[in-house]
Amino acid sequence: MTRRSRRSALAAAAVAAAVVLSACGAGGRPDGGSGTDAAPAVGITDTSVKIGAHFPLTGVAAPGYSEIPTGAKAYFDFVNAAGGINGRTIDYVFRDDAYNPTQTSQVVNELVLQDQVFALLGGLGTPTHSAVLDYLNSEGVPDLFVSSGSLLWDQPAKNPQTFGWQPDYEIEGKIVGQYVAQNFPQAKVGLFLQDDDFGRDGELGARRFLDKQIVAAERYTPGNTDVAPQIAALQAAGADLVIGFNVPSYTALSQLQSLRLNYKPQWIYSNVGSDPGLVGSLLARFSEGAVTDAGLLDGVITTEYLPGVDAPDDPWVQLFQRVWDEHGGDGELTNYRIYGMSQAYTFVQALQAAGADPTRESIVAAVERSGAQFQGPWVAPFRYSADRHAGVSGVEVARITGGTTESLTPVLVTDNGDAPITEATGEPAAPPANGIPAAPPAG
Amino acid sequence: MQQFLNVTLTGLGQGAVYAAFALALVLIWRSTRVVNFAQGAMAMFTTYLALTVIEGGQSYWVGLVVALVAGLVLGAVIERLVIRPVEGGPELNAVIVTLGLFVALQALAAILFGSTFRSFPAPFDLRGFTVGGVNIAFTPNSIYIIVAVVVVMLALVALFRFTDLGLKMRAAAFSQEVSRLLGVPVGRMLTLGWALAAGVGSLSGLLIAGGSLVFPAYMDAVIVYGFVAAVLGGLDSPAGAVVGGLTIGLLLSYVSGYLGSELVALAALAILVAVLLVRPQGLFARTAARRV
Repeated sequence: MTRRSRRSALAAAAVAAAVVLSACGAGGRPDGGSGTDAAPAVGITDTSVKIGAHFPLTGVAAPGYSEIPTGAKAYFDFVNAAGGINGRTIDYVFRDDAYNPTQTSQVVNELVLQDQVFALLGGLGTPTHSAVLDYLNSEGVPDLFVSSGSLLWDQPAKNPQTFGWQPDYEIEGKIVGQYVAQNFPQAKVGLFLQDDDFGRDGELGARRFLDKQIVAAERYTPGNTDVAPQIAALQAAGADLVIGFNVPSYTALSQLQSLRLNYKPQWIYSNVGSDPGLVGSLLARFSEGAVTDAGLLDGVITTEYLPGVDAPDDPWVQLFQRVWDEHGGDGELTNYRIYGMSQAYTFVQALQAAGADPTRESIVAAVERSGAQFQGPWVAPFRYSADRHAGVSGVEVARITGGTTESLTPVLVTDNGDAPITEATGEPAAPPANGIPAAPPAG
Repeated sequence: MQQFLNVTLTGLGQGAVYAAFALALVLIWRSTRVVNFAQGAMAMFTTYLALTVIEGGQSYWVGLVVALVAGLVLGAVIERLVIRPVEGGPELNAVIVTLGLFVALQALAAILFGSTFRSFPAPFDLRGFTVGGVNIAFTPNSIYIIVAVVVVMLALVALFRFTDLGLKMRAAAFSQEVSRLLGVPVGRMLTLGWALAAGVGSLSGLLIAGGSLVFPAYMDAVIVYGFVAAVLGGLDSPAGAVVGGLTIGLLLSYVSGYLGSELVALAALAILVAVLLVRPQGLFARTAARRV
């Protein structure tokens, strides 16, 4: 609390100083007719830019997700230590919404009205962020790179300020669906779905390729931890391959229930539900004694679009490790922190693309114009344009073995609807030597 | 057929846990005439104590003993320090105090133990039996749960029906003044009632945690369904609590398996309303005899 108020006091002092400075500087400019130009852009000065985010730092969604903003913060500190972007340091404020949409509205209000942020970056969660979507768009606050794969963020006509970031659940479902149709053509497929947009979008994608193979689609309600009836129904339907669009704790619960039922289908979990570190720590205790020695997740198929900590030789992981070692807080580098750093890396490019004097309008225009060319650790390019605000366009299918993952396919790229699935053509990007991107100003 | 069997068996396993929880509610009701809404939070708290002991390298059984003893102590302390001052006033006061305790204990647990999901070990195998090539959703651990609940229920019935102590506890709850005149140490009986109920509550917390994930709110569903079970069986009857618990477990499992998991909470509410409309004294209560 004291730290936050001290920070806002500092920010207020900085704003005051900037106002005084610009007032002094204005003396050199021709007077008259500059009334509109003189209005300072919100949240940005000549020396700093302030951005905000909402994350579940407490509550049931906090495990894993609460690490994302610590990663982003470490990366911004790394950038600030190198002098910032165009002379501006990045002031990153994140607040706790406990994954509760009511609290999200409240903290986003605070960020916009009290903290006067320039933009929002990576607000997490479909139900939570939906609650502030209209507000941010009507206030004209750039709502960059939402941390969720819902299709809601890609509606530029309705929500011109909002941009998705990660591959949406529909294209993930399509790519998984095609992989299963090609590699398990005889399989009877069951779906294990979270009963909201997440499960619905994933099912939509998977059904494009698997409609005939799907024998059961079971939905669980988040919060109800008894998934036994759903797993029993999948087993009874004879599903020998189950695709799960669920969050990590439900990966653990579904594995435990399957154990109870001696149910051993080939499991495929979406990227969201499969973090081996987090799920492994939940299941580790059960795999010690009574169960098998190998981890319960061994052999599970999933998808990836960012390098993970299990690949320490990846140049991006090496960069992020360096960032975390120099500027991180407690704990190890995790996949969630890499996710946060990758979002921060994207934001830095957006800021560079917006030119020397970014405004809220110009950063949105810059992402639309040059976002598709942004380079980073993600495996496939973004789909940003004037009429698309969709994030990463592809994933690769991988198998979890012994706590690490091995690729089963090359990076596969597609788009929503009936767009074809193709292999990615571009070379994987290499990180710049100084670890800071250099996107040219757009347009 | 196999699905029906498995949904039934997992329902029984869940029902046994609701039964244990309902037993604790019945116990407090019988001995103090208070419905304890903090029961779940107390059970959650002692389960975390057990988890701390187990993570410290002790066995499950040491954890179990620690949780039960902690439950007894916690129940007694709460009765003495928190409930005693509001006793004798309007009945609602004690209920509101237990609600406050519920919130406070949950927050305290989040501060002390963190709010993340953690796995809780099970004492027995979590793999289901295979009978003649058919997998059934019945594990050695479910047998342990059911046996534990039945043993506790029988012990409680024996306590209340066949011992002087049980008689004194019932008398103290039923009519404090008359009991005092007859030489029953009412205060001590009330404390004992809370301690025993909290002990049974701790057991239900441990049973539902075994082989699953715990977090400060993990008992919330059990509180609701356990309460419905207790009302269904009649708040006065240990056997009714067990039957009510098993019934609720089965019904909710069928609803989740055949109608959809989003309807589970709704179904529980419907059952509660139906019971209160049709037979408000519960299936097993004998309040009719007292109406004379």
